[in-house]
Amino acid sequence: MNKIIHWIRLRNFFDKIKHNLWSGIWFLDPPKDVSLDGYRIDNVIQYTDMVVTIYFGIVVLAMLYFIIKYRSRPGHKAVYDKGDTKKHMSITIMMGLLVFLSIDVVIEGMSFNDLKEAFWKFPKGDKVVKIEIMPQQFAWNFRYNGTDGKFATDDDLIPAQNHMHIPVNTPIVIQIAPYDVIHSFFIPNFRVKIDATPGMINTMWFQATETGKFEIACAELCGNSHYRMKGYLTVESEEEFNNWLQKQDEEGPEDDWGDEDEDNPTRWGWAWKESI
Amino acid sequence: MNNHHNQSFWTKYIFSTDHKVIGKQFLWLGIFFLLFGGFQAMLIRWSLSNNLEALPWWLFGDILYQDSPMGPGIIGPDAYNQLFTMHGTIMIFWAITPILIGAFGNFCIPLQIGAPDMVFPKLNMISFWTMILSSVVLLASYLLPNGTAGAGWTSYPPLSTPVGGIPGLGQTFWTLAITLMGTASLMGAINYITTIVRLRAPGMNYFKLPLTIWGLFLTSILNALFIPIIAAGLIILLLDQVAGTQFLIAGGKATIPGGDPLLYQHVFWIFGHPEVYILILPAWGIVSDLLSVFSRKPAFGYKVTAICMCTITALSGLVWGHHMYTTGMSPLLGKSFMFLTLLISIPSAMFFFNWLGTLWRGALKFETPMLFAMSVMWVFGLGGLTGLYNATITSDIYLHDTYFVVGHFHYTMAASVLFGGFAAIYFWFPKMFGRRMNKLMGKLHFWLSFIPLNLVFFNMMVMGYAGHHRRIFDPSEYEFLKSVLELNDIITTSAFILGVAQILFIINFIYSLIKGKISERNPWKASTLEWTVDTPIPHGNFSSTPIVYNGPHEYSNPRIKDRDWIAQSDSL
Repeated sequence: MNKIIHWIRLRNFFDKIKHNLWSGIWFLDPPKDVSLDGYRIDNVIQYTDMVVTIYFGIVVLAMLYFIIKYRSRPGHKAVYDKGDTKKHMSITIMMGLLVFLSIDVVIEGMSFNDLKEAFWKFPKGDKVVKIEIMPQQFAWNFRYNGTDGKFATDDDLIPAQNHMHIPVNTPIVIQIAPYDVIHSFFIPNFRVKIDATPGMINTMWFQATETGKFEIACAELCGNSHYRMKGYLTVESEEEFNNWLQKQDEEGPEDDWGDEDEDNPTRWGWAWKESI
Repeated sequence: MNNHHNQSFWTKYIFSTDHKVIGKQFLWLGIFFLLFGGFQAMLIRWSLSNNLEALPWWLFGDILYQDSPMGPGIIGPDAYNQLFTMHGTIMIFWAITPILIGAFGNFCIPLQIGAPDMVFPKLNMISFWTMILSSVVLLASYLLPNGTAGAGWTSYPPLSTPVGGIPGLGQTFWTLAITLMGTASLMGAINYITTIVRLRAPGMNYFKLPLTIWGLFLTSILNALFIPIIAAGLIILLLDQVAGTQFLIAGGKATIPGGDPLLYQHVFWIFGHPEVYILILPAWGIVSDLLSVFSRKPAFGYKVTAICMCTITALSGLVWGHHMYTTGMSPLLGKSFMFLTLLISIPSAMFFFNWLGTLWRGALKFETPMLFAMSVMWVFGLGGLTGLYNATITSDIYLHDTYFVVGHFHYTMAASVLFGGFAAIYFWFPKMFGRRMNKLMGKLHFWLSFIPLNLVFFNMMVMGYAGHHRRIFDPSEYEFLKSVLELNDIITTSAFILGVAQILFIINFIYSLIKGKISERNPWKASTLEWTVDTPIPHGNFSSTPIVYNGPHEYSNPRIKDRDWIAQSDSL
């Protein structure tokens, strides 16, 4: 199993196959991957692309062959065959198992492995940058924990809405809970997406490998201006990031959002949830 | 048999208890909403390609959206949200459901199992008129000052509750209409199940049922099991909308603690995933039968196909969590749902293989219903295989809520079910209305639907792969979507061709209804029981209860010399 996964992991190999297959079909490419683990998702998709193409190709070729060979014409008779002999049924069952083993088991193995090794293996330590995100109709609010390293204190830093900055090559852990309705935090260039559901704090991590300015989209319908609920993610060097952070406003837990309920566990500027 | 009493116009055509008339009523209702929902799709495409431009005259730009805040005839973001919400709602619940389940369920079940009518004819009538009531409520929401519902066909709270910021009563009307429609479906489902269990003709055991009946039977079981669940969810939602409760509201807008928006998503998808199979199972059954009829050979591995359909039915109730991988659901649950979802590919692959087996060594006749049935193999093949991406947690993280999902479910639900429905209409039209449909127009309709449909939905998947997220009023808002804007126009053009092609179908339908060639009793030389009765079918169907000797697909049996088929009720 691990060997198969390892073989599939050869990302250059798959990039080559894909390039040869689709060269010229420019639009099949997703946005440039600038994250540490995005290639894992691309690999699963590429493997699935490959087997799906093979299976669908077989079906289409078989159909074409049957259409030509077995078309109704004078002198041609259908064979009275119910396909219910043991031989036929075992071939049918074999087909089911073949699909299961060649597609399901492999992509499930890859997916579980990626979840264990990357997406659900949250980074720990001092180097991790923690960010709290509160989407609202129709903007993104970000909160950094300031000098004391704790949220829900008076030195929390709140940059301008819709502008998120992160340092490159540093693990970023986000916790997200919306103010009003369900939103979804989606950065196409990082292949990551997490819903923001009212009353729940969701968490996710990612790491940038390149600097640049990327778009954040809201992927869950949140009202009439859903389509322009756009944010910007600026990935910069650690030095630039620290300079930027120092210029941001200090602000404590917010109470002018109309959220009077101090017991609300997802009130903007919640205390960081250590174990989710 | 019985029921040969005199009928007035009202009891014969309007408040009829005859399953054939009710079937036709559902068919008219379904076709009306199919055109209505389809027209909305055209408006959606216009808006996506020609953002903030006034509608042209051929999309009724002089009549529609005259009081739009953006200017006369212009679709704004609010109107756009309402369009795709109602397009999804109408297509699923008011177009596909009445055509496949309402029309062909009613028409085929008693005729194919050899029964005089449904077991509860009055319930059948009430079911149709509840459906009409739900349609009235749905259409009434277009008259509301703030327009219809706009929170998507899933209507996730809190967006669909008053705190979500969608003005007016549209969401409330939506909830009421779906609840009424569910009630109608539930009445139909009870009727179908009881009829199939109790009214089968002598000799018609379960493994002699046509696969169409298998599909409708399993669909009805799913309906009976899962509609009560969505009803519970909708009633909670309705209370939040009108009674000030906050079962489904949390976060900064909640004034009462303890609400949970995720509860609705679970309840919705416990119903919502089986709903996909509710829609597609009848289409699978119909396609399996039609492939056999037009290959002039028995359905390959009939029993295996039936058992696979049962297995999928059972699994469909256990996989709803794959719609919710990104909601922050427990990782353990996510893994279980992924495993169960992927299991569905085994029975699906098996019956798909059986479809190919049916064609193998047949004598294929490419009549219009056969073309549509074979195209279902194509579109369902693509739709089913692309489900793998969405079933896998990691690839779904990226593809969830993108056009990839839109393309995928249009292939499975829209294309497969629509083409299955067209196959059924072309196939049973001679028995329903006693006339043949025009062959040339039928084939033209097929090619003008099949090619543009693929251009539309395949390109949608490509766009989703490029990261294009769903329900976006103006895709040019995003820099990373610039590369697919060109594709957007290709889709729009194809969608318009697809839309215009359906006019051909309507012309063919109405022309054949009035002027079509009078059909013989069994034009397709099919062996199921509905072809043994007279056309037009008398009230009470069979002159004497048929006795069933053969399986549903007795074609090219070497023991019969003079013809290549034998009816189920003919003894060898």
